[in-house]
Amino acid sequence: MKMSVWSFSENATVAAEIASAAGSLANSMQGEAVVVEMGNLRGDVSGPGKKLLLKGPLQAGASPEASAEAIHRAAKKLEPAIILVGATRNGREVASRLAVKMMTGCLAEAFHLSVEDGNLVADRTAYAGKVVARVSCPLPCVSTVRSGSYSREEAVPGEVQEFEVGEIVVKTKTLKSSKKESGTVNLKSAKVIVSAGRGVKKKEDLAMLDDLAREMKGALGCSRPLSSDLGWLPEEHHIGLTGVTVKPDLYLAIGISGQLQHIAGMKDSKVVAAINTDKEAPIFQASDYGIVGDLYQLVPALRRALSARR
Amino acid sequence: MRFAVCVKHVVDESELKIDSEGKPQLEGALGRMGTFDKNAVEEALRLRSALGGEVVAITIGKAEARKSLKEALAMGADRGVHVLAEPGVLDPSKTSGLLAAAIAKTGPYDLVICSEGSSDTYTGLVPPMVAERLGLPYLGYARKLEVAAQGVKAELSLEESLTSIESPLPSVVSVVSEINEPRYPTLIQIMQASKKPIVELSLEQLAVTGSSPPTTILSMTAQSPKRKRVIIEGTPDEAAEKLLGALEKEGILSH
Repeated sequence: MKMSVWSFSENATVAAEIASAAGSLANSMQGEAVVVEMGNLRGDVSGPGKKLLLKGPLQAGASPEASAEAIHRAAKKLEPAIILVGATRNGREVASRLAVKMMTGCLAEAFHLSVEDGNLVADRTAYAGKVVARVSCPLPCVSTVRSGSYSREEAVPGEVQEFEVGEIVVKTKTLKSSKKESGTVNLKSAKVIVSAGRGVKKKEDLAMLDDLAREMKGALGCSRPLSSDLGWLPEEHHIGLTGVTVKPDLYLAIGISGQLQHIAGMKDSKVVAAINTDKEAPIFQASDYGIVGDLYQLVPALRRALSARR
Repeated sequence: MRFAVCVKHVVDESELKIDSEGKPQLEGALGRMGTFDKNAVEEALRLRSALGGEVVAITIGKAEARKSLKEALAMGADRGVHVLAEPGVLDPSKTSGLLAAAIAKTGPYDLVICSEGSSDTYTGLVPPMVAERLGLPYLGYARKLEVAAQGVKAELSLEESLTSIESPLPSVVSVVSEINEPRYPTLIQIMQASKKPIVELSLEQLAVTGSSPPTTILSMTAQSPKRKRVIIEGTPDEAAEKLLGALEKEGILSH
């Protein structure tokens, strides 16, 4: 029997990435890649391999508890070697519950996945990104896959297999769900990110940084204190271990000291530049270009220099 | 009501030393309670003061993990449970198995409260695994919690949405760090913490069964940011000009 690598994410964009991770793993082991879909097929989920459509009282937005149970029922019958789940907040519950139900091991936040001697081997970061660990788990197993680690591939129309999962009882009840007020922030896809830290003295001053971000055709991010403690920006702007992970072409850190947990969210940026009054600030160790100085002078100077170039 | 709060004794990542071969020196590194676990303890204390009852802090680790329990007790937890075992450093299956067994043995609890992730490995897998092992509902990444006799209501902070969800008790929840501001214990509270009871549980007492094949750590390597670390000098206008020039050379901002 062909070994199969399943992929699942409730988020369509992440699902496409994970599908391509499953595709390359399946290729390496002459196996097959299977995209798991809940309730109905999403047109925007591309990726190699066939689709496994789980039918029953399920929808694309099924709760993680229900999704885990549905995937488990299908997996008992079809015995995949690997199940990859996008490492989203809900995805982590799906993977956790699945691994316990299937009594398999579970890797987390994995990237650089490969199969070696019957084990799933992958990298993951630890200690706020200070360390990369290479970890291994015997097959069959489950793994969450760090989002942004694989690029989505062209959609290939593939075979669709349906599987009836039957009745699923879920104890939690969703009352309502609303989109976060993220406005126009899309830090994940921004080529330039201007990011604000505690060096910014008051909320109103963020406008100046936001203008700079716009003039650089970029987006505005921030370190944790600005969103979590001060509430100057919604949580969606927070870049760091517990916030968004980004990798823009340019990350411009303004008034950010550079705590490890912040660095963990931006260390894969192509170029990092920093402005800070403290020349000992750790951010300079994690930057390509640093300017020791007052952001209240440097931000206007940068805006002047930018407009002179137009 | 009885609240269990899970705390992890972690190596302080900012103090973690890297040896000359680029390996992290975990042996003998300074340990403390995980950064985000403080939010879980704080939330348990907040719920206790509103609803009454007891907060039990649970940890897994070798002898030194007691230090993290003491931190939780100093913050205000009533008692501690210390599972004497080496938690799989990067193995959430093993960790969750031990936690679930300790919760079952020292329970019943109305609510099990965890943080969104440990500050060392941040897998976010342990709380839902504990829920699955105990057959309980899980409310993950709560930024608001309301608990009453009939159940728990939470506002979950997901990547793109805020979701209100309710669940009967007992349940397992994890909280995000913006849910509250953890208190700092006073010196007196720290001293009083040493008088609070801590129960130690051995692996034999917990008799964990059905554990999953463990994950193995093949290697750990420090990531050194390969950055140029160029410091740009000059007046603000000169520095701004030089920075833009450097960025253009990197192929950035050249439209």
